[in-house]
Amino acid sequence: MAVGPDAAVVGDLHGLLALGVLIAAATLVAAVGRRVGIPTVPLYVLGGVLVGPHVAGAVGLPSIAPAEVLTLAEVGVVLLLFFLGLEFSIDRLIDARRKLSAAAAVDLFVNFPVGVALGLLFGLGPLGAFLVGGIVYISSSAVITKSLVDLGWIADPEAEPVLGTLVAEDLVIAVYLALAVALVAGGSPVDALPRIAVALGFLIAVAAAAQLLAPRLAPYLGTSDEDLVVRTLAVALVVSGLALAVGASEAVAGFFVGVGVGATPLHDRVADRIAPLRDAFAVVFFAWVGLNTDPVAVAGVAAFVLAAAALSGPTKVISGAVGGRLYDLSPRRSLRTGLALVARGEFSLIIAALAATSPDPTIARVIPAFAVGYVLVMAFAGTLAMSEADRIERLLGVADG
Amino acid sequence: MTVYESDLPGVGKKHEIELHGDERLVVVTHNTGKREVFRRADADSDAEKLFELPDGLARTVGTVLEGAYFQPIATENIDTVLGGDALIEWYEVPDDSELAGETIEAADVRQRTGASIIAVEHGDEVTPNPDPGAGVHAGDTVVVIGSREEVDSFHATFIASAGDGDEGHRDDGGDDGAGTVRD
Repeated sequence: MAVGPDAAVVGDLHGLLALGVLIAAATLVAAVGRRVGIPTVPLYVLGGVLVGPHVAGAVGLPSIAPAEVLTLAEVGVVLLLFFLGLEFSIDRLIDARRKLSAAAAVDLFVNFPVGVALGLLFGLGPLGAFLVGGIVYISSSAVITKSLVDLGWIADPEAEPVLGTLVAEDLVIAVYLALAVALVAGGSPVDALPRIAVALGFLIAVAAAAQLLAPRLAPYLGTSDEDLVVRTLAVALVVSGLALAVGASEAVAGFFVGVGVGATPLHDRVADRIAPLRDAFAVVFFAWVGLNTDPVAVAGVAAFVLAAAALSGPTKVISGAVGGRLYDLSPRRSLRTGLALVARGEFSLIIAALAATSPDPTIARVIPAFAVGYVLVMAFAGTLAMSEADRIERLLGVADG
Repeated sequence: MTVYESDLPGVGKKHEIELHGDERLVVVTHNTGKREVFRRADADSDAEKLFELPDGLARTVGTVLEGAYFQPIATENIDTVLGGDALIEWYEVPDDSELAGETIEAADVRQRTGASIIAVEHGDEVTPNPDPGAGVHAGDTVVVIGSREEVDSFHATFIASAGDGDEGHRDDGGDDGAGTVRD
């Protein structure tokens, strides 16, 4: 994620005050929305929209330019992916491979093509379609995990295929982002090839270091909590910053640093101590996405958003339900697996932030607006699908007893 | 009984404990240390949440359920049952007890009740196996051995007659923890 096209916009609030107002707006909107059961991720985006140049700025109120908080938003992305890496375990994936790989393949080969088809249908070309494919494919770990815990589904058998699918998606998204960053930068294939090679080579080196060196380097992260937090953050930011510098995905670099730390005995303590940091910086990222969002542009792609929601909501339910069946769940529990996977969120927004950096003006304009509208609809629809699961089961006639 | 363990990536770990038939107790341990305890009546029904505990409390409750945890509550008399009918009991000597300010011999403990005083605690000082001529003061703790009947007689003569009558046996409800599971 680098500076998007809106970065040229000049806001009236700067530095500390800009950051404070942004976070305050995000949490205020989240507090209001939570009362009516809307998940927080899209609400943070909405908070950012309100104080951004396109709303507050447009009516002459003090507003915040996205560039003011860009670096902190990037920290949010790195920490989001760092956490995915931390929870990611190759061994766990291998243990569950027979059921999981089939479920994950169904998930990928149903939902990704749906997004690609939508992108082509709405005239975004092959690269745009590839990006829409990712936005539509990837479910939201944050929204879904929270709903699973809130509704008590976490203790039910469907939690296993749901969380398993999310982990498999994490691995896909790491590979996907590595490719997407290289592709979005554009240029002629001859120019692009060495750059892509350097970028992918860097990520492969980080991944290898995570696997081979992490256990030996872990003791240097320190023994006190303070050292652990500060040094882990230092490693994550230096590595992901280097990734950006060589044109690789900083998010994927963060993911592999997380995988490395996750493979050491420090895993639990790091997870405990860094989680609050991730929560805070992730809010900045979501709100930053909002700053970049012009509500008029979102309204302009409303047909696209609604078509995508109408198509990709049901396909996710179907692919998830097939996944549930592959885990030998009853029809009712399989349906619930599908309903649980509907919500899209943070990763779709990360892809959108990437799209905003595209030199292709159509992609840079349409896809971020589409992603924000789509995530708003799908995060809410997914949460609703879970809380109303009983009614949906009866409607579809799969309620047991 | 089988316990099933599974990972909940991003959340923590889940343990399912078989109860009777298909009924299961489900314990979700969050990465934050929070424990959520659910019960599932059978394979088809949804888990119903019973309660949740923060990490520290969960560990304490765990040791109580395990039977390893024991924290005596302050009572006036604490008895220890030996084999057969014999028991040892602790009593604090009330101010107006016949025993207060007397020697064991003068109070005629053995003859009147059948029980024997095997130790006297006066402040920090403990006298095990006291002489018959040893004095007992109000506020001392005496340790008495005898049959249940003899010890009761000691209690009636020297402790309860002093008017406090506060029986503090520890038959408190040890089943509370399991009760939620059984229903």
